[in-house]
Order: sequence, then C-alpha cells, then structure tokens
Amino acid sequence: MTVQPHEVVLRTSALVKRFGSITAVDGLDLEVRRGEVVGLLGPNGAGKSTTIGMVLGLITPTAGSAQVLGRDVRAHREDALAGVGAMLEVTSFYPYLSGRDNLAAIALLRGGGALARVDPLLERLGLAQRGRSKFRTYSLGMRQRLGIASTLLGNPALVILDEPANGLDPAGQREIRELIRELAGENRGVLLASHLLYEVEQVCDRVLVINKGKLIASGTIAEVTRRGAYFEIVVGDKARAAQILRGIGVKEIRETPSGLDVVTDPERGAELNRALASAGLYASAIIPRASSLEDVFLELTEAEAPGAAAAS
Amino acid sequence: MLRLLRSEIYRLVRRWMPWIMLALIVIIAFVFYFLIWASINAQLQAVKSGTIPAPAGGTAQLEETLRQIAPDRVAQFGVGVIAGLGSVMLIVFAASHVGTEFGWATFRTLLAHGASRSGFLVSKAVSLVLYAFVFMVVGTIAAIAASYAVSAVAGIPVGRGVDLAEVAGVAAKSGYTFLPYMALALAIAVWSKSAGAGIAAGLVVYFAEGIVAGILVSLNKDYAQIVNWGLSRNASALTRTVSGQGGPSTQDPTASTLPDPTQAALVLAVYSVIFLVLAYWRLRSRDVTVGG
Repeated sequence: MTVQPHEVVLRTSALVKRFGSITAVDGLDLEVRRGEVVGLLGPNGAGKSTTIGMVLGLITPTAGSAQVLGRDVRAHREDALAGVGAMLEVTSFYPYLSGRDNLAAIALLRGGGALARVDPLLERLGLAQRGRSKFRTYSLGMRQRLGIASTLLGNPALVILDEPANGLDPAGQREIRELIRELAGENRGVLLASHLLYEVEQVCDRVLVINKGKLIASGTIAEVTRRGAYFEIVVGDKARAAQILRGIGVKEIRETPSGLDVVTDPERGAELNRALASAGLYASAIIPRASSLEDVFLELTEAEAPGAAAAS
Repeated sequence: MLRLLRSEIYRLVRRWMPWIMLALIVIIAFVFYFLIWASINAQLQAVKSGTIPAPAGGTAQLEETLRQIAPDRVAQFGVGVIAGLGSVMLIVFAASHVGTEFGWATFRTLLAHGASRSGFLVSKAVSLVLYAFVFMVVGTIAAIAASYAVSAVAGIPVGRGVDLAEVAGVAAKSGYTFLPYMALALAIAVWSKSAGAGIAAGLVVYFAEGIVAGILVSLNKDYAQIVNWGLSRNASALTRTVSGQGGPSTQDPTASTLPDPTQAALVLAVYSVIFLVLAYWRLRSRDVTVGG
C-alpha cells in the first residue's frame, strides 16, 4: 500500500454524544493528517476523552461519524483500529503480568509481527531494565511509558495519546515530547490530549480547543495565539489616544497605568503609530505583545464558564 | 478472534489463580480419600475393640463405605467429590476471569487495541471451557491416584481397577453440568462489572435453587413439572445417569421425578447459550468509559 505523505488518518464529522440530557460532544469536526501532531485541548469535562472514546469505538456516537484511514469506526471497527495505537488517560494493564508480558499479550492480540516489537519498544521507552518486573510494582511514570509503548506495537498510522505526561518528571516529560515529534517524523499522525499547555505548545503543529463539547478554536499555534495578541501603548493622554484609535476601527482598548492595551491584528502596529502621530500624539512606546497558549486557552474557556459574565 | 484467544490463554497461564485451583483440587482429592479411610477405619477399630457399640446392622455399612475408596469406585465416588467441589471453584473462577477485566479496567485496554466485544466474550467463554476441561482431567487423575494410594495404605483390594472409559464418561458429563453455572457467573460479572457479584449470584443459584427444587418436589411431585426446567434438577438428572445404581443420587427420594437425561442436556445447553447471549447483549450496547 502506498502511503500518502499528508493523508488524513483521522476524520470526525459532526460527531455528537449525549448522555441523557447532557451533551458531552456537540457536532465535532476534526482532522489529523500523517506527519502532524494535533493537540486536543479543553478543560475537565470538555469532551476530550469522550471524543477519543468515540474514535476508538468504546463509546457509541449519538450522531456523526469517525473515520480512521477512510474506514468508518462503527461499521469496520477492527479494520479501522488496526491502524491506531491508543493510550487512554488511565493506563490499565494486568497487574499480575510483567511489563513485557503485558506488551506481549497485546502484541498477540494485534498480530502482524507486533510480538517482535516488544523488546525494541521496551528499550525505546526506557523500560528494558524493568521489563520483567510485575506491572503492579511500576511507578506512575513507568506505567505511562508502558502505555505509550503499547500504542506502537501495531506500527500505527495514527497515535492517540491522552495525557501521556501524567506522572512524569520534567526529564521524562521532555523525553515524551521528543518521542511525540519522532512519531510525527515517522509519518504518523498524532492526536494529543493534554492539560499541559506548555507541552502542547512545544510539540503540536495544530491545536483544537473544545469546551462543553464544542470546537471553539482551531489552527496552528501561531494562529490560535494571535487571537490574544495586543499592543501595549505607552502614552500620556489616554482618553484622546483611545478616541483616535477607535476612529480607525480598533474595538478592544483597555486602559493601563502607563497607557493602553490595544487588541487588534498584530500587523497593524505601524498604522496605530501613524494614526496617533498624525493627530499630534506621540507614544513613548508601542510594544507588540503575544499571548501564550495558556492565556488564549483560559480566555476562551473562561469566557464560556458559568459565572464568567458576572466576574468580568 | 483467534488472536484474542491466543492472548487470553497467554494471560491465563501466567495467572496464579488457575494454578492454585488445580493444586487445590489435587490436594483435596488426596486429603478427602485419606480422611474417609482414616475416619471409617477409626470407627471400625473402635467397634472391634468395644470402645463404641456396633451399629444396628453391624459393620457392613461402614465396610461398604470404605469400599468407595477402591479404584473401581472412582467413577461414582472420586469424580463425584471432584465435581462437587469443582463446580463451586469453577463458578468462582468464571466470575473472576471476567469480572477482573472490569475491575482492572483492562477490558477498555483490550478494546482500545482493536479487540471486539463479541471476540472478548467468545474468547472468555472458550478459555473457561478449556480450563474446566483441564480442571476435570487433573481432578479425575488426582482422584484415581488418591484411590490407588489410599487403597494401598489401607489394604483395600484394588479389584478390577479403574474403568477409564466409565470414569471419563462420568467426568465429562459432570463437567458439562458446570457450564450453565459458569455462564451465569460470567453474565452477572459482565452486567455488574464485578467479579464479586458474579461469584455471589453463581453460588446462590447453585445452592439455593437445588434446595428449593428438592423441597418443592418432596412436598408435591407435581411441582417437578415446573422445577425440572431449572438448572439443578437437569444437572442432577445427568449426574444420576452417570453415577449409576451405586451413585449417591439413588438416595434421593425425588430421583424418580427427574427429567429425561437427553432433555436435561438440552436444557443445560439452552441455559448456557441464554446466559452468554444476555452477556453479549449488555456488552454490545454499553459505552465503555472508565473501567468497562
């Protein structure tokens, strides 16, 4: 089979899941292509794990569909999942088996040469020394590593990782970030659900922000963080400066002790400067400020949180 | 499906529980035979020495009980002991074999790695049947060995020895009667996502249904037409057939109202299938979130 470099490995279309009166996922469309790492972000209860559950056929969608490598997960689950390696948020293995035996048990289930990948994967994930120890003796970090190793047994086109860095120390988190980039480099698509926004910012090519089951933002890291970008303008006559800037279409202006924070397109720096100078008002400084992913994430999700209106 | 079964057996042989149960049934077989001999022999010695008075009919009944130890009685006595204890042990094992998958949340892991729900259930059922087969084989061999060993120690004549065909037939039919109880324990474990509930339900049905059925038929034989559609009466019908005239069920005053053995075998098969279908019906419609 010929592998297309940017082939879509995962596509969901209008995916909906309702649990009684609660809508956990509401019309979610997403795509993951080979060679890219896509971050799935959202606060607790946003619908990330439910989405992953539907992609893996663990949860039946109320409406919509999920396709892996063009195969519908509901209609052709086993064929579709043959191309997926998934690590769920809570890593669960047989406590009475060693790490190696746990991988071997999954490899037997996977077939297709997976058994031969057990030892190399233990080596790759740094578990070779403890491969023959019982899973129940593993630390949280070792369990996470074993979970990640299990995702690669079937040589998957799509890797789904739900909070893979949980319980890892900073060095371990860095190793996992490097591994995720390596997986994308091996022309696999990676869907990464994580609370660690720094981690997402470091490894993801694109992010999807969901809240209350709805997609509220998506794009590259630069595109998403741009929406929170602003200019810090140090100026004396704040009221007049604000009036001039509103005159050229700037809508969001916040007063600060030293001047104004002006939320607008990052490309408009020169235009702001010119407008103020033309009116005889000279700013001491016009500093472009970029928001971090964390700022944007909090802004997006808190805006929809209950009580947000009262707080603002 | 075959890949899942291979994985299932790989995990099964690496678990302590099935090996401990096999070891237990071997030990129990030897201990049981030894205790029967030691107890009856002590009574006979006491009667002979005049320490205790002789029973009303003399010592013939005690000597007949002692004869149960002989190898030519393994089909009636030894296999009966193995089947009686084995049924309880296998109900516990069946519930644990399935219920722990939910307790450890490994059911979710298996599904996430591509296993199907029907494949999961079939591989569990097949591995349970295979284990029950191994259990009965090991238990029966242990009973034969215990019979020869204790007979040699006690000086009981070996007689015509073990009739292997007869013993195998009795063991097979006894093992067959376990299946619906194991399927019930499996189904309850799936529904409740708990090994404990499967064990409790399996054991309660195993003991209580038999007692209630026996009481009802003792009160009025017409009740047999109802209770003969239950598990215990059909299991009894099969084991009575195989235990022959010398079997313990000839003591059962309600034995004459037991169902026909062929019907009994069919009814037990239907129950087994119904329990498996119910388990699958629940499993296929369930959203698997945390655990199973």
